[in-house]
Amino acid sequence: MFYIHQSSCISHQPTFNDVDLEDLKLIENNLVPAIEPKYENVPLGQLRRMGRALRMGVGTCMKLLATNKVNGLLIGTANGGIEDSIMFLNQIHDYEEGRLTPTAFVQSTYNAIAGMVGMITVNHGYNATHVHRGHAFENVALDAAMLLKENPDNSYLIGGVDEISPKNHRLVSLTGWYRHDTVSNADLYEGNATGTLLGEGAAMFIVNNKSESAKAKLTGLKMVNSHDENFVKEQLSLFLKENPGEVDLFLQGENGDNRLLKYYAACESLMAEETTVARFKHAFGEFQTVSALAVWLSTYVLQNQKLPQHFIKKNSATEFNRILIYNNYQGVQHSFMLVERV
Amino acid sequence: MNKIVVTGIGIISPIGNSVAENRAALQAGKSGLTSLELFATRYARLLKFGEIKITNEDLKQQLGVTTKGVTRTTLLALHAFVQAIEDRGFTNEELQSSDTALINGNTIGGMSESENLYLDANKNEVGSEYISSYNLGTVNMYIQQRYKIGGVVNTFNTACSSSANAIAYGARLIKNGFAKRAIVGGTDSLAKFTINGFNSLGILSSTLCKPFDAGRSGLNLGEGAAFLVLEKEHDAKGKKIYAEVSGWGNTNDAFHPSSLSDNGDGPYLAMKEALEVAKLKPEQIGFVNAHGTATENNDEKESVAMKRLFEKVPAFASTKSNTGHTLGAAGAIEAVYCILNLMHQEVYANLRFENAIETTGLTPVTEYKKMNLEHVMSNSFGFGGNCSSLIFSKTNHLL
Repeated sequence: MFYIHQSSCISHQPTFNDVDLEDLKLIENNLVPAIEPKYENVPLGQLRRMGRALRMGVGTCMKLLATNKVNGLLIGTANGGIEDSIMFLNQIHDYEEGRLTPTAFVQSTYNAIAGMVGMITVNHGYNATHVHRGHAFENVALDAAMLLKENPDNSYLIGGVDEISPKNHRLVSLTGWYRHDTVSNADLYEGNATGTLLGEGAAMFIVNNKSESAKAKLTGLKMVNSHDENFVKEQLSLFLKENPGEVDLFLQGENGDNRLLKYYAACESLMAEETTVARFKHAFGEFQTVSALAVWLSTYVLQNQKLPQHFIKKNSATEFNRILIYNNYQGVQHSFMLVERV
Repeated sequence: MNKIVVTGIGIISPIGNSVAENRAALQAGKSGLTSLELFATRYARLLKFGEIKITNEDLKQQLGVTTKGVTRTTLLALHAFVQAIEDRGFTNEELQSSDTALINGNTIGGMSESENLYLDANKNEVGSEYISSYNLGTVNMYIQQRYKIGGVVNTFNTACSSSANAIAYGARLIKNGFAKRAIVGGTDSLAKFTINGFNSLGILSSTLCKPFDAGRSGLNLGEGAAFLVLEKEHDAKGKKIYAEVSGWGNTNDAFHPSSLSDNGDGPYLAMKEALEVAKLKPEQIGFVNAHGTATENNDEKESVAMKRLFEKVPAFASTKSNTGHTLGAAGAIEAVYCILNLMHQEVYANLRFENAIETTGLTPVTEYKKMNLEHVMSNSFGFGGNCSSLIFSKTNHLL
């Protein structure tokens, strides 16, 4: 589909500047918040006014655009600047629909990240924001794959970002999808509990058709919508037939919620006995665009040929050539992505 | 043949609940802009709105929706979706097939439930029925699950050009072999959130909007939804074919979060790119359904961009004078109007136009008339600099 070149990532782990995944950074308060770096290449006056998702999104994009020129920007986000949305809604309520300032409204629009980066870098090219929850980043990747078929010489910036914010945290805590008892991320997969830990972060990539100096290649992508684990398993089986070859790492999105285990078990059962199985949500938390961070992690593993022990569930390969990512959002949006060594 | 054609359409707007009602209103030069009746806001009587006068309860009943947490944005979408799939004629097997895609664009999602969102975000100890319905994915999540759509499902947000991009994405999925057919469109419902948001920018008009008029004073917000069924001409044998989706362009104005650049770079480049995709020359465009929101900024910059692109600006008009600005739905609603232009070889009046903008001097179509049309263009521009243009072309299969 396309080659992945430079990438940048903000998460709860040190992933932005000096990447260090050896020791898991532990959480407090049942949230897996991103550790925001000092942002460079973003005008300070603008940075001050930005909400969290906007800052993380623009910050990760600008790190890449300092040294890369691209023909377009594709961002996946399920919630955009939701804190700004609610802030504006609260102003509407508190001032009884009086005259309000537009900043929170304009910044809350989901496309604000791609729009802002386009504006700062004067990029007139393709500009898209995909917002379909657990398939937001997957659609970004599919869109990029199509753009690179249509314009083979181009390069694009693609990625995903979502935020934890006080209001969003309050909202999601009412949905029944998150843990209410205190749990450490180190113990996320222990026991038999419902709910997971809310995370946030951003991962951006420069992608094109050039193999030279590429860090990895995305070779397959499929999205499935279903509540039926047997159907999901059949679809994965089909996907593997369409994309034959050995998988040496099965990187799956288990999140500690026992209601979703059946999907992961069904898909894992299709893997060979010796395939290494690993998980990532104890490091990044659960959010709709976390699959972008799974691609980032895959790229890291292929580049460095190692995966720290805390990610591993089963076996331990010494060489990584082909990684299958299986993610699942709330038991209905499933995705398979193949990331390969160049 | 590799042409992408339209084989089904569905629409609900302030000027009608079906394609036929919309066409009749357009022909008659009817506007659907009134005071707001269905929900309380201090602007209900102070401003004009393109409101669909059907309550959520009635929509739910008409559509057989009993699931909790389905908001107006989804109900309007569902109304248009059902029309489009019935118009084209789908079997359940086809809907559930892995090569049927569902693509939507919207900007408000479930935030039309402003009061419930306020309570859930600030006060409630137990979530309201809408707790999982607020973000934009909610519309297609519901439609996908209701009809078990089997292919790629996506939601676009590029502000007011969202559904134009949903249409282009569907066409490209088919072109690139990721779908055989795509049900594409957009939806938005009126909400306190957007009314106050646009009001804070000072671009809402207290009178009926006057697109492209020198004395225009801002836009009227509207609501609605439209869906189109797209497939390859080759696969549409024996079906009615409304038009071809022949071109699409997506660019960014890269100038300001909420207004267009003086030279209209984004709009100019989007129209130019759509022509390139369609392999057409500017002079082959017979009519432009303009973005034409009736704001000071948009109409002048869009005019500048059209003058840059076209040696002689073709006939153009803004149907937002009928419907108001339906935001995320506008691209899809206006795509249906472009298809009507082509099917019936007619153009509709840009209502309430009196005097041309002094700096650009362009006059839109001011009365209903018959017109020979081969290719029509539709513009949609949004916040964040997101500019999109679509081109629809006449096919030889018109009914």
